[in-house]
Amino acid sequence: MIFSQGHLKAGLNSVRSAKLRSFWTMLGVIIGVAAVITVIGIGDGVKKQIAGQIHSLGNNFITIRPQSLQTGSITANQAGLLSGLSLSGPLTVNDISTVTTTRGVSQSAPLTLTSGTVRSGQVVYRDGDVIGTTPDLPSLINQSLATGTFLNSQNYGDHVAVLGQNAAISLFSNPQPLGHSFTFHGQTFVVIGIFNQFNTTPLSGQVDFNNAIFIPNNVAESLTNNTAPTYEMFARAATVSQTKAVASRIKKRLDAEHGGQSGLAVLVGNQNLAVNDSILSLLTKLVAGVAAISLLVGGIGIMNVMLVSVAERTHEIGIRKAVGATDMQILSQFMIEATVLSLSGGVIGVILAYIIDLVLHATTDLQPNISWQVVAEITLITLFIGIVFGSVPALKAARRNPIDALRTE
Amino acid sequence: MALIELQDVSKLYGFGDATTLALDEVTITIEKGEFVAVMGPSGCGKSTLLNMIGLLDRPSHGQYHLEGKPVARLTPNVAAKIRRDKIGFIFQSYNLLPRLTALENVALPLGYKGVPLSKRLKTASQMLERVGVQNREYYLPGQLSGGQAQCVTIARALVNNPRLIIADEPTGNLDSSSSRLVMELLSDIHKMGNTVIFVTHNPELTRFATRVIYMHDGSIIHDERTVVGQVASTARKVLYTVPATSEEDDLAGVSVLMKALPDKPPSPPKKTVRKSTSRRRQVARRGRRTRT
Repeated sequence: MIFSQGHLKAGLNSVRSAKLRSFWTMLGVIIGVAAVITVIGIGDGVKKQIAGQIHSLGNNFITIRPQSLQTGSITANQAGLLSGLSLSGPLTVNDISTVTTTRGVSQSAPLTLTSGTVRSGQVVYRDGDVIGTTPDLPSLINQSLATGTFLNSQNYGDHVAVLGQNAAISLFSNPQPLGHSFTFHGQTFVVIGIFNQFNTTPLSGQVDFNNAIFIPNNVAESLTNNTAPTYEMFARAATVSQTKAVASRIKKRLDAEHGGQSGLAVLVGNQNLAVNDSILSLLTKLVAGVAAISLLVGGIGIMNVMLVSVAERTHEIGIRKAVGATDMQILSQFMIEATVLSLSGGVIGVILAYIIDLVLHATTDLQPNISWQVVAEITLITLFIGIVFGSVPALKAARRNPIDALRTE
Repeated sequence: MALIELQDVSKLYGFGDATTLALDEVTITIEKGEFVAVMGPSGCGKSTLLNMIGLLDRPSHGQYHLEGKPVARLTPNVAAKIRRDKIGFIFQSYNLLPRLTALENVALPLGYKGVPLSKRLKTASQMLERVGVQNREYYLPGQLSGGQAQCVTIARALVNNPRLIIADEPTGNLDSSSSRLVMELLSDIHKMGNTVIFVTHNPELTRFATRVIYMHDGSIIHDERTVVGQVASTARKVLYTVPATSEEDDLAGVSVLMKALPDKPPSPPKKTVRKSTSRRRQVARRGRRTRT
């Protein structure tokens, strides 16, 4: 009914007749929409990337980590090493052997944070952590070595170490320091291998593997008298089809050892994402929220321009009322104008977001993923913004007294 | 039943000491089919009267019956619908929408009535043809001459087949030949049975009217029925006597027309003010009395 009366055309006309001003008016909404879509797209893309990496680890990949996030009951040791994520309690040496010996587990590797000072000559290494693990780690996470060898059954138990690339450079100022040594807990460790750069380490928790020094887990435990916390454990089921069964078997055995309540989570496939995912979602929401404020400001900009427009076109309103326009018809004309402004701003913003998306794909590692649901939602929001912020100027226009409006030039 | 019946209609502007009386208890009846010319000096309330009759303005006091229905206290929306369906406006400054073509301007009232697009453009086109500017359909108002623009305005006023045409100095901005064209158009409209009310400063144009009303300071001071084709008798006096205006008269707002008026002397402005203030005082006194 509204459209048959030509209000849409009137609205479009006035937008078209003041192209430049309309563009500046829309700019706020354009930027807001593009920002929101891009941020959500990047967040989604990163999530997808991580999921892809976990997928690349294989469907038979299992992680074991303390389940509940608690702020209380953590030792100073843990607090320092695991800032942010406080765990109910790390895995014990027993837990590790339980996992390793569970039927169906083909490979397993704990990640044990070992505190202490790493020293090489005068250099004290502070940038990363020392992690105790087993020879299965590289094949579990599909990571290759740049040079040398990883821990193996022969040297497991010896004082040997494999370094992440950054650790090698900052400790020895040498990307391939094979045969070099450092001291840790008064013991001398010989470097036997250097990892390739880890692209992303989705499951490494707070530890950056590129800065890490890997030593045999049994050495780590003996140096710290079994007090080093194992914050996570990777395992692989022998067959893909058995993965869930193996995971639940591990869970059952761990619970049994802890008297029914181990507080440990055994995660399979996408469940591994849970922690990363929630943090990422939170961040995405936060940044998108900030971007949404610019959308709001854009809406206020539209309201401002519409108010000016109403003031400028008072005479026009007078003429329209004189020839028989009702308040409602004037109202809908200006409402449509505001909605056309915000909606076209939204559409241009969406197009801009897609262009930004292409540019990001081409120039960076980021792979933003724009979903049509987000686009649809944002479009609805801009429509809503147009209606809300258009209503104030439109009401002002509709309530003009025809004779006063006609007298205004 | 008279088309228009105004009874004691007053219009006040402003508040307190700044109050001005634009219309002072005007009572007038206009029958269907009349062609009324309203004359008088600037600021005498002609336009206010026309706006009141055209439902663009509401009277402060008094009664107004249009086709027998009371319309003095209508809501804005009902008034808008009556304007749309029953009244056509022609303004001195055309008041066409500058961004719409002549055709779209004429189609505007039909749009507000809800007529479908194709039909309203067709009707508008026919209307432009009727007023003789069909070859200017796609011109913007800025590209039209004054006479053509006024013809478009007349087409717009006629497009909804209104019963009443209100023209506020339709020839005010036009040269004499365009004026004649516009007046002949209004005359045609009148001949088809419509009621036309127009304001003019040109006594010559009373030739077209069937009735001439003279106003001064918000009151109707003279009302005369004339024969179509003849200049009204009072107006003729103005037209054919060399006006001997003095500077004092000009300053006091006494027009040549006023001097030419026959018997009834214009009521002095002071008196009208006293009239309304004394009434107010009476009301106040009455109010006090009821309280004590």
